[in-house]
This record gives sequence, structure tokens and C-alpha cells, in this order.
Amino acid sequence: MYADYAYLIVALPVLAFVLCIFAGWHLPKGGGFLTVLATFAGFILSYGILTEIYPDKIVHQSMPWFANFNVGILIDPLALVMLLMVTFVCTLIHTYALGYMDGDPGGARYFAEAGLFTAAMLGLVYADNLLQLFIFWELVGVCSYLLIGFWYRKPSAAAAAKKAFLTTRVGDVLFLAAIILLYNNLASLNIALKPGEYLLQFPVIYAHIAQIPPAQLTLIALGLLGGAVGKSGQFPLHVWLPDAMEGPTTVSAMIHAATMVTAGVYLVARMFPLFYAAPHGLTAVAAVGAFTALFAATMGLTAFDIKRVLAFSTVSQLGFMMAGLGAGAAVGTVAVGVSIFHLIGHSFFKALLFLCAGSVIHAVNTNDMREMGGVGKYMKWTMYTMLIGSLSLAGFPFFTGFFSKDEIIVIAYEYGTLINFLPYIFLVLAAVLTAIYSFRMWFSVFTGTARSDYSKHESPWVMLGPLVVLAVFAFGFGLAAQGSFYEYLDTNFEHYSIDFEELAVIGGHAVEGEHGAEGAAEAESGAKEGPGEPWYIQILPIIIALGGILTAGLFYWDKIKKFDPDQVTGDKDPIRWMLLKGYYQHEILTAWFAETVVYGSSLICNMIDIKIVDGWLNWLSAWVLGFAGHVRKVQTGVIQNYVAALVLGIVILVIVITLAKEVGLA
Amino acid sequence: MDFGHYAPLWGEALLTVLAVLVVLLGSLMKNSGRLMGYLSLAGLAVAFGLVASNLTLAKPVIFFFDTISVDGLSQFFKAVFLIVSLLVVIASLSKYTGKGAEDYYALLLFATVGMMVVASSIDLVTLFVGFELASLSTYALAAFDKSKKNLEAAMKYFIFGSVSSAFMLFGFSLLYGMAGSTRLADIAAASLANFGPATLVALLFVIAGFAFKMALVPFHMWAPDTYEGAPALVSALLAAGSKKMGFAAAFRVMLIALIALRMEWYLAFAILAAITMTLGNLAACWQNNVRRILAYSSIAQAGYIAIGFVVVGAAYGAAPVTTFNGVAVPAAQLGIAGALLLVLGHALMKTGAFIGTALVASTVSGKGQDNDPDDISNYAGLARRAPITAFCMLIFMFALAGIPPTAGYIGKFVLFSSAIYSGLVWLAVLAILNSALSLVYYLRIISYMYLKEPAGPKISEPKGYVAALVLALIAVVWIGVFPQGFIDWALQAAAVLLPQ
Repeated sequence: MYADYAYLIVALPVLAFVLCIFAGWHLPKGGGFLTVLATFAGFILSYGILTEIYPDKIVHQSMPWFANFNVGILIDPLALVMLLMVTFVCTLIHTYALGYMDGDPGGARYFAEAGLFTAAMLGLVYADNLLQLFIFWELVGVCSYLLIGFWYRKPSAAAAAKKAFLTTRVGDVLFLAAIILLYNNLASLNIALKPGEYLLQFPVIYAHIAQIPPAQLTLIALGLLGGAVGKSGQFPLHVWLPDAMEGPTTVSAMIHAATMVTAGVYLVARMFPLFYAAPHGLTAVAAVGAFTALFAATMGLTAFDIKRVLAFSTVSQLGFMMAGLGAGAAVGTVAVGVSIFHLIGHSFFKALLFLCAGSVIHAVNTNDMREMGGVGKYMKWTMYTMLIGSLSLAGFPFFTGFFSKDEIIVIAYEYGTLINFLPYIFLVLAAVLTAIYSFRMWFSVFTGTARSDYSKHESPWVMLGPLVVLAVFAFGFGLAAQGSFYEYLDTNFEHYSIDFEELAVIGGHAVEGEHGAEGAAEAESGAKEGPGEPWYIQILPIIIALGGILTAGLFYWDKIKKFDPDQVTGDKDPIRWMLLKGYYQHEILTAWFAETVVYGSSLICNMIDIKIVDGWLNWLSAWVLGFAGHVRKVQTGVIQNYVAALVLGIVILVIVITLAKEVGLA
Repeated sequence: MDFGHYAPLWGEALLTVLAVLVVLLGSLMKNSGRLMGYLSLAGLAVAFGLVASNLTLAKPVIFFFDTISVDGLSQFFKAVFLIVSLLVVIASLSKYTGKGAEDYYALLLFATVGMMVVASSIDLVTLFVGFELASLSTYALAAFDKSKKNLEAAMKYFIFGSVSSAFMLFGFSLLYGMAGSTRLADIAAASLANFGPATLVALLFVIAGFAFKMALVPFHMWAPDTYEGAPALVSALLAAGSKKMGFAAAFRVMLIALIALRMEWYLAFAILAAITMTLGNLAACWQNNVRRILAYSSIAQAGYIAIGFVVVGAAYGAAPVTTFNGVAVPAAQLGIAGALLLVLGHALMKTGAFIGTALVASTVSGKGQDNDPDDISNYAGLARRAPITAFCMLIFMFALAGIPPTAGYIGKFVLFSSAIYSGLVWLAVLAILNSALSLVYYLRIISYMYLKEPAGPKISEPKGYVAALVLALIAVVWIGVFPQGFIDWALQAAAVLLPQ
């Protein structure tokens, strides 16, 4: 019965958007409570659907849209957990925003855009076809643009919004190309569609992957990966994500940590069978993910802006999820469960960390950790909830992050034994750095003495409440949900007619090791334990977490401080500066590449452009407009001329048609 | 007499009676303008309800000795005409309320009846009568405000229209001479090809007569002057309503009576369509008068719609080329359906846009003769002066340019894809290039409305105008977002014209 109202999950936030944008300024708090209620209603509905379809049913509704496209809702385990997570986290963040955005003159606009964002994200998650997913995907991008640039009078915010929009656009073009390619391939198969089936529906795509030529599959997979890389801030399209922190902290928490950036991971998970069948598809995913995980973690180590640390951490953790999906090449569909588990867990603790950071920033009025210190004395609740978030992020035993990240590292190990150990090594190093940077952040914010004169007060309860709830989940979700979560997600692709063994053969997984087909079969059986890693692999993550936290403590916790980071590396240490400067990406990409190379070559192009291309175009447009000017003069306003034109028109038509008939054109 | 038998024609009957009644009551009662407006509105609404309750007919219903046919196609066009008239009347309620307003409403009703008759005609004489009923009513309407500009516009419209009618009638008489009958079906059965060059002359005279209404280049010259000079609400009726009457007539005459001359009119329409959309768009780029821009834009749109004829000419009787929603569709049917969708979409967008100009012009009319109330400078900062109007205009401009998700996009999508399916890639490419070119002047209007400093104080937006604008807006967006029902409807209407 809840499933019949599934459309409301998107419709209600849209309604909230409409109300807020048109009537928001007449309502208390900009109508924010409408967005909160709409999102919470979505959560209730999603939960109701869970109770109805758990554990072995799915919801699929569809109606024709136009031509060969439909609009539809598909709620399978994968979509359902995402729905639950998005509605839950967004409800908490919207609630928090009631306090955080209080007094901002743009409050109504904020809640309107936040409502629209929520709707778009939810629509993306339960779309039943790729086109609809793409439309919501773009809408999410637009909302992200609007919200990053929320304080649009601030030049850096406007620039960051533009950067985010343009960078993700690169990925989106690839995504669109992949959709067109996929559609053409499916259309050329001449599939006999049953009534209510459409080419781009996921079940239809899944059922016909095996018939698409493998080379095409790889192209499609790479295009989709391009979209995912853009949206999920993976290397090399990650540059927009740290800058996106110019928006309000709630936006960073909601869009750029917990929900929107996970859309890329979700896309790869959603299209997992296609990636699995595409030769080298998952290898590419694993490579991109593992590299990003380490690359971003190193930058997180040196950033001073608390939100940028968290942003790099997000990029890094998304890399973990991608690498986890990539490891599916070795372990089959188990990878989807593992990766999505980390996605969900991450959204809890990362939202928590961002909201804590927001709480600190709200009180301290700076983002710079060098100006904080000792904040814990005044903000007990924030301090302890953030401790939980940091422990979870660092992978401290029995916290959520421990279970989820550990599992990704374990399947990366299996990927290593079968294919290549590089991703595993990268992920382990990234995990060490994760523990270090998260506690570097926590120690330097909350411990020690105040390094500047900031205002000392705890945030209001409307903000602390969500923190506490999120902290509970950041701690307990992993422990509580671990087993049943994997089992549930493992059933995801059983609802469709997919022959994973056949796909494994196409994707070349069976050739690369005897585990390939076995891995696929294992996916079917739903077994989650790997085929027995050595004990040290199992225990390693615990050592990593504890060691990393201890290392951070030795540098940054005043009680056990042994080293001064400045003295260890020295002020001029090139590695430190390289990390601090983010591998000189700004210098390389913007200053050197964009401003020197591109600008320099653009000067040359400009010459060519002005002289030749523009000259020609100007000539053309001048000609067109000049011609248009003449066209206009035909209109003399004298009726005699008009009638003459009429007669002339008929005469010319007679002549032309007669001639055409003579020469056999008609 | 069995009235039930005539149920499909109750709408026309009702409007005719109502029009007479409006004139009579209006001259008897004092200050009855507003009342007559509401009466006309009610009548049109009922007529629309009657048509809407009978939208798709399994079989054509034939009346009056094979001269009137009520079928899917006629219902489609009648629905379009009634929607346009309804919107115009709703907007008129804010303008024509005083003395003499009853004449305005009566003429509007007569024009609507004329258009509805044309939509149903399967006989040349009936068609001509309907054509002239609509034309004569609109000649008078074009001069209704009696300003100098009005009179000039009406005069040009009248002279040009009379000449075109003469041409059309001459074409009809030739056809009658050849076929010995004025029934479309009889003309189709006669072997016209035996008559040599006379057939071509007859065909082109008929096309010229229709092309005058459709405003295809070079039979368009009256349109910019008339759309600019006539009262803005009448321009809405002309551009959105009576222009479509030309298409309704041309579809039936070309596809039923003159299908044997398919290759000839295929060529004629190919030339006309290509020239019309190109010249229409080019000329629009240079205008400063918003109503002239809209006039040229609707000429260009007529060029797009005419692609429907070219597609049918090229692909008549060919095998299905594509599946739409699981049903196999021939390119010819798709082409007609695309043209119909654009007819529907354009009717909504253009009515809305002209009503918008009427609203703006009504606020600056006090500025004297030389100051053009429709000049684009009056639109500067309209977004802040009249936010609802500006927003509606914005959407109409996007829709006219064919940007999704709007009715304009759906029409162009179906029409242009039918052109590609039938091998007319050059025409589709030309049309798409033209759509891009059209953005020059649509965006110009938008930039004036949204990016410039306001040209005056806030305007109070009259209720009637706003209601019409918002209704048109909803329809334009609705068709854009949920197009499948409309595409199916248009495909069904198109099927009437094709051999089963």
C-alpha cells in the first residue's frame, strides 16, 4: 500500500520547493519546516515500502512518457537503501539547517533549493530507466550549482559554483554519450519488447547486455564511468569538490558529502552488470577509485581549512567505494553490497562530521583550524559527537567505518590475488592516512589551548539534535546492520534475468583466474566471506586505525605530543608544500595549464580565429543579417507590391515545378 | 427532425445562435459588453466541452449530402480553434467591456464558427463558405479599435485576403470544371492528370489561397503589417486561430482531393516551407516591434508546419518506419501528426505571446501616436514590472524556439524526426538551423525582459490577461511534460487523412 504512493517521495519535496519559493518569505524560518516535513514523509514512505517488500520483493511502476521512453519507479534493494539513507540524512540536515540558516536573508531560497535538491536526488535513485536517471542527475547538478553559489555575492562562491558546474559537465557529456551509445546498441538488437517495456529500462538493459558487442560495452562503461567520475569527484575531475565548500556547511554536508556525490557510485552500482560484462570496465573503476582514495587522502593531511579536510576525505572515501565496486571483477556482485554499505555508513559519519564542523564554524566563525584549538572546552556535545564521527571515519574497531572500510580492503585483497595488488596497496596506505588526518583535525580543533579569540558557546539544540542522532548511527549502524545488509543487497540482481556467468565470460573474468566464474556463483549464493584471507590481512585494518590515530596524537594532541609537525618536515620541505598546495594542481591546472598553456595557445588560436574563422563567420553573419535587412525591405507597406509578390510567387512556382517535372525531379 | 443525429454539430449550432443572440441582446441592453463577454465565454466553453467529449471518433460522421465530416481531424482542429477563442475571450474580458463590445464578441464567435466549418468541410463550396465567414469576421475585427493603425492593417488584410480568395475560388472552379463535382472525394476519383497544365494552375491557385491564410512566403506580406496594426488580441486570434484554418483546409484538400498531384504539391510545399522558415526567421532578427517579431516568428512556424506536407508527399503510402510506444507508424502519419502537434503548440504559445504584448501595450498606450506601444524598449525590465506576464512570455519564447519540455519542442521533435525518417534530411537540417537562428530574436526579447533596467513603474496586471496567460502557460508546459497522450491523439487525427 505504501508502494502505491511511492511517487510522493519525490512529489512532496517538489511541493515544498514550490511553496518555499513562492511563499517562503511569508512563513517562519523561510518555510524550512515544510522541506523538513516533506523529506521526513519520504522517509516514512520509504520505510513503509521496506516493511512491505523486505526481503524478496521489488516495486516497479511505469507509465509511458513519449515516443520510446517512459517514466517509472523501480525500488529494488539497491534503490531502497539509498532512498532510506537520503531521506533520513536529508531530514536531519534540513532540521539542522533550521538552526544554522536562521537569520540568513536568503532562508526561503535555501529551503526551496534544498527541497528541490532532495526531490531530484530521490528521483535519481528510484528512476527505472537511464534517461530519467540522467534528467534527475542533471537536475541534481543544477541544484548543486545553485546551492554552492548560495551566497552569490561572494565572488569565491560564485566562482566555485561555476567551477563545479563546468567540471561535472565534462563527465555529464560522457554520460550522455554512453546513454546514446547504449540506446543505439539496444535498438539495433531488434528486441521484441513486451507491452510496458522500454529500451532504456534497467531490467531491459540488464537482460540484453550479453548481446551487445564487448567493445561497445567497454565504450559505454567508460562513458558511464566518466559521468560517475565527474559527479563523485574522482580523479581527474575531483577539482570542483573542495571548492564546493564555499556553500553553507549544511549544503556541503547534504550534497557534497552524504548524498549527491554518491550518485556516481550509485550509477556504477546500478549498471554493475554492464561494467561486469565490459572487458576492463571494472578494472578502470578500481584503478580510478584506488588512486583517488590515496591521492585525496594525502591532500587531506595538510589542508588547514576544516571543511577542505573533510572535502578531501570525502573524495578519498568515494575512491574507496569506487575501488570496492571495481573489486567486483574478482568477487562478483558481492562488491555492490560492500561498496554500498560503505556508501551508507559514510553518509552517516560524513554528514555528522560536516555538521559538527558547521557547529564549530557557527560558534568560532572561522574555517581555519590554526585559529581554533581548545574548542572542546566550550562545545562538549559537538566535541564528543565529532569524536564518534572521526573514530568511525578512521575505522576504529566496532565503529561503522571499521566494518565497511575493512570489507572493501578485504575484497581489494582478493582482487589483488586474482588480478593486481596495486589497488590494495593504495587503499591500505589511504586507510592509514585517513586515520591520521581525521585525528589531526579532531585534536587540533578540540584539544589544546585557544589559538585565537573566538566566541565560546555551544550550538542550539535544533543543531545538536541531529548530531546526536547521526552519532548513534555513525557508531552503531555498522555493527547492527552488517550481516543483514549484505544479504539483502546480494539479492539485488536476482530480481532480473541476468546470467552473471555468461557476463563473466564476456568480461573476461573467467579467463583471468579460476575464481572468476566462482566469484559470480558465489554472488548468487550470497556468501559474503572471502575464500579465507590470511589472518594478518584480517587484522591489518585494526592496526592501521590505531596506529594512525596514535601517530596523529603524537603530532597534534598536547597531552602526548612528541613532535612538532613544522619541525619534523621543516617549513620548506618540498613534499609538505606539494601536499599543502594539493600537488600544485591549482598551479598546474589553473595557473600553468589554463592560464599559460591554454591562454598562450588560445592567443595563437585567437589570431587564426579572428582572421580566418571569425572573418568567415562575421562575413557570413553580416551577410545573413544584411540579407535579412534586405528581406525586411521587401516589406514596403504598399499593398500593390504585396499583391504583385503574390502573383509573382505563383508564376515562379508554376515555372519551377514545370521545370522540375521536365528534368524528372518530381 | 432527429436532433440527436446532429449531436456532433451542436457546438457550431450553439455558437451561431449565440452570436446572433449577442448582437441582438447587445443592441437592446445598455452597457452589456461585459455580460456578452461572459456569455460568449460560456458558449465557447460548452462548445469546447462538446468537442472534447467526442475527441476521437472510430468512424467519420458525414452530414448534409457529403459536405461536412466530423472525424478525428476535424475534432483536433476544432479543439485548437476553440482553445484559442477561449483564451482570447478570457483576455478580452479585461479590455472589451464598454459600448460596442457585443459586436466584438459576436464577430469573434462568427469567426470561430467559420473556422470550425472549414475544419469539417469535405466539399469545396462548404469550405469556401467557412473560409469567408471566418475571413470577413476577422477583417472587421482587425479594424475594431478604429485607430489609424487598425484601419490600415484591416485594409491591407482585406485587400490581400480578397485577392487570395479570388485566386482560391478560381482554383476551385477549375477543379470543378475538371472533376464535375465539388466533393473532395469525387475530385480525388476524377483523373485530373488528363487535363494537362490546367491541373497545375488549379493546384497552385488553391495553394496560394490557403497559403495566404497560413502566411507562407511569398503570400505572407499582409501578416506582419496586420499583426502589428490590428488590436493585439485580434492578432492573437489571427496568428493562432485563423492561420491554422489554412492548414486545416490544406490538409484535407491536398491529401484527399488532390492526392494524385502529390508530386507537384510536394515540390511546391518543399519550396514554400524552406523559403518561409528561412525568410521568416531572418526578417524577425531585424525588427524592433515585438508584435512584428512575433508575426515573423509565426511565419517561420508556418514554414515548419508546412514540412508536414512535404513529408506526406515524400512518404505517402510507404511502410512504417518507426515504432512509437510499441505501435508501428508510417512516416507520412508521423509527419501529419507532427504538423498537428505544432499547430496545437503554436496556437497556445502564440495566443499567449500576443496576449502578453496586449498587456504591455495597454500600459503605454497613453504615450501618443509616435511612441510605438509595442516597441521592444517597452519590455525592458518587464520581469520586475509585471512578473507573471514576463515569466509567461519567457516560457512562450522558449517554447517557440523549441526548447524542452514545452509543447513547441514536442511538435518540432515529432515533425523533424518524421522528415528524417522520410529521407528529407536536408529539410530537417534546415529547420533545425532555423530553430537555432530563431533564438536570436527570442533571446533578445528575454534579455530585454530580464536583464535590463525597468522602463517604468510596476504594472498592475489585469485579471483577464493573467488568467489567459497562465492557462496557456500550463497547457504549453503540460504538453511538454506529458506529451504521449497528445502524440497519440495527433496520430489518430492524422490517420483520417491516410488510406487505412
